[in-house]
Amino acid sequence: MSPDVAIQQALNGISFGALLFILAAGLSLIFGMMDVVNLAHGAFYMLGAYVTLTLVQRTGQFWPALVLAPLVVGLLGLVVEPLLLRRLRGRHLDQVLLTIGVSLVIADVIGLTFGREIRSIPLPAGLDRSIEIGGSDYPVYRLFVIASGVAMAAVLAAVHRRTQLGALIRAGVDDAPMLAALGVDIDRLFARTFAVGAALAGLAGVFAAPVFGIFPGMDVDALIYSLIVVVVGGLGTLTGAMVGAGLVGPADTFGKVLFPQFALALIFAIMAFVLLLRPTGLLGRVRPAR
Amino acid sequence: MRGVALAACALLASAALVTFPVWSAGWESSRYATTILRDMLILAIFALSLDLLVGTAGLPSLGHAAFFGAGAYAAAIAMERAGSDDLLLALGAAVAVAALLALVIGSFSVRTSGIFFLMLTLAFAQIVFAAAFQATDLTGGSNGFAGVLRPTFLGLDFNGPEALYQLVATIFILVIVILWRIRSSAYGRALVGLRENERRMRALGYDTTRLKLSAFVLAGALAGLGGALSGFALRFVSTNDVSLGRSIEGFVAVLVGGSGSLVGPAIGAAVVLYIERVLSSAVPFSETVLGLVFIVFVLAARQGIVGIGRAAYGRVRR
Repeated sequence: MSPDVAIQQALNGISFGALLFILAAGLSLIFGMMDVVNLAHGAFYMLGAYVTLTLVQRTGQFWPALVLAPLVVGLLGLVVEPLLLRRLRGRHLDQVLLTIGVSLVIADVIGLTFGREIRSIPLPAGLDRSIEIGGSDYPVYRLFVIASGVAMAAVLAAVHRRTQLGALIRAGVDDAPMLAALGVDIDRLFARTFAVGAALAGLAGVFAAPVFGIFPGMDVDALIYSLIVVVVGGLGTLTGAMVGAGLVGPADTFGKVLFPQFALALIFAIMAFVLLLRPTGLLGRVRPAR
Repeated sequence: MRGVALAACALLASAALVTFPVWSAGWESSRYATTILRDMLILAIFALSLDLLVGTAGLPSLGHAAFFGAGAYAAAIAMERAGSDDLLLALGAAVAVAALLALVIGSFSVRTSGIFFLMLTLAFAQIVFAAAFQATDLTGGSNGFAGVLRPTFLGLDFNGPEALYQLVATIFILVIVILWRIRSSAYGRALVGLRENERRMRALGYDTTRLKLSAFVLAGALAGLGGALSGFALRFVSTNDVSLGRSIEGFVAVLVGGSGSLVGPAIGAAVVLYIERVLSSAVPFSETVLGLVFIVFVLAARQGIVGIGRAAYGRVRR
């Protein structure tokens, strides 16, 4: 691999990692707070991408999608949590199963509304150029994804550490029943957490839409990648999602270039290796059995 | 006396099931009904094998399609490569490959439990899916493996639709018997113990990891058997057979029918297949219906149709 190709692929890997971080951070946040692996996370991501598609088709504008798509998906999350998940609080596995049903419905409704063929949208105006890096052209949009991923990480970390909401989230992740006993409205906190997690999936869908295409089945791909990220990094922590995404993104990208036949085998090997050494992921929290 | 009556009933039901194409021959839609019933039984085998994990041992696997698909591919490829349509060769290959794969995936997955187990099995199955997708020479990749042979055995030819149906029905009954024997054995009770309280089982001296792994391999082997039958039935194996969608199908069948019983997953399989095959030709939104049915059962009837039936029966008796 020549140096300029290596640089290009490294950037591709980092930008994929940035996307995976935004995606997995939502999954991890929901799990950390509610002990629920949201298997509709891929469907939320897909919905974000299709909202973007609609917006670009109707108005020709990409940028509003960055706000609108997470908003739509977040609102859906705000409905799903109280309407469905709350009824099964404490029965974590059943809650996970419930999200399977939710994802089936969302994916099918999207398929019915938009058809089942592969769609694509152009790169947003202003970012559809390339710039020269290391002697060859590199698309600006991917650099934008990297910057956005880093910015999201910074924002999420700041919210997590510095704000009252962050304190509530940290406390809830630690011991939600105790938080409830202290008088915090845990119902509201859970609904909001779920909504924010869903919105992050929707946001990842917006970023992915111009690069990876929009198609039925994208929900499963996204779900699998985000699961691998959190399994590697460890569930329930922001840094876990960061480390996992930072490993899986570049590994997947280089894997696909170096040994196209075995790209997924490489990710698999990483996952298996991490699990053998640390069953709860690299930075996983060991939580007491409840 | 009661045991004898039950055995007689079971025998009678089995005979009725296997001879369905014969006594339904007068119906206008006998051919169609036989096909639907055949595919219901195949899905039922898959769901029953999954329930050995979900219902009996308490291991919620969301990657069971890996073994179903592995069995389907293994049977089809073995017959093609060997240039033979021998039933035992095909089923042997299916069960062996599925069991081996289950041994590999299981030895990683059974170290965990609950939600983590579910995630791991899902992720591993997706890797099998990707492998099937990429190994074009072996599996046909995205085009699928077309022209799967239908088997013969000791001069019996399972090419015709009735004969193939009878093969599927016979193996279905065999699987039911195997699972029934397992459930009433000491081993089966140990698996239930695992579901109820793993720590206590360990304290009692059981090697719980090995116990779980053995259940995982057994369930994988049975799923592989179902996969091989699916290949015979459709003469086609595709990546759908190893997909998350197939795993979910099995899971929905188990939960809607009622996990932890022999009847439940079979009833659930019938419901799922009805929605996906019969209802889908009437309305375009059958997947949504499937999702909603699943949501309703998880929310309101976690014990499934069998649970509803039991509760109703209990009320009548009182």
